[in-house]
Amino acid sequence: MLDLDDHLPLLASGDADAFGRWLAGAEPRLRGSLRSYAARLDTEALVQEVLLRVWQVAPRHVPDGRPNSLLRLAIRIAKNLAIDEIRRVRSEPMDDDGIERALAAAEASAFRGGPDPLLRRVIADCHEKLAGKPAEVLAQRLASGGGEPDEVLAERLGMRLNTFLQNFTRARRLLAECLEKNRVDLHAELC
Amino acid sequence: MGTPGSDREALIEALAGAYRARDPHGAISSHPAFFDLDDAGRIEAFEAAQRLRVVEAALDPDGLSTTARAVLARIRAAGG
Repeated sequence: MLDLDDHLPLLASGDADAFGRWLAGAEPRLRGSLRSYAARLDTEALVQEVLLRVWQVAPRHVPDGRPNSLLRLAIRIAKNLAIDEIRRVRSEPMDDDGIERALAAAEASAFRGGPDPLLRRVIADCHEKLAGKPAEVLAQRLASGGGEPDEVLAERLGMRLNTFLQNFTRARRLLAECLEKNRVDLHAELC
Repeated sequence: MGTPGSDREALIEALAGAYRARDPHGAISSHPAFFDLDDAGRIEAFEAAQRLRVVEAALDPDGLSTTARAVLARIRAAGG
């Protein structure tokens, strides 16, 4: 378990690998803080924009002495960007208790630098049991690392986009069933 | 090749993915599927993405989700 601020010295020198290690711990908490915005904003786009901004400010970030100060900054950047975007599209203001809870949790807790080793093993076992088209579409998404649109991935597999997405739904369900059989609750892992 | 069109499940699956295009100013764009879904569908996609990122990170040797990979790729492409 670690304070994600342990990565700050390397982040100050612009070490992208260190930022990757920070990301592995910070991303789930940052994403989770945005749940109350999910109906109003594309939270994936928001998460990526926030992370790029955090990378830019990290070298100048001065920790406040409490744990996970850079993550707390990221959550605040996310909140401000979300509010700006909601104002821009003239949507209604909303309750953002989720952000405040996430800030408090970030200050109170230590983090793993990624998924728990036991969880990793169970997920890897379930992944190995996937076969056929569901395995192929999941492999494409993993290999592309969010760098290519589904249209391109589908074409690579000779599938229509809808077929690709249907197979992905199947992959997610098969994984979820396998994880459930192994008594893994991903929702609980996120809390 | 086809588009998700009005297929709700396909739209949710598309929105839950990590790929996001850039607009002409370089900002990250919202996924087109976001605008075709109602509130419940958007929340479903958010929850699917949350779980997916955990699975992706667990299967990645460096513990990185596709979101993290996409962000790092942009940083490295910019010379970071």
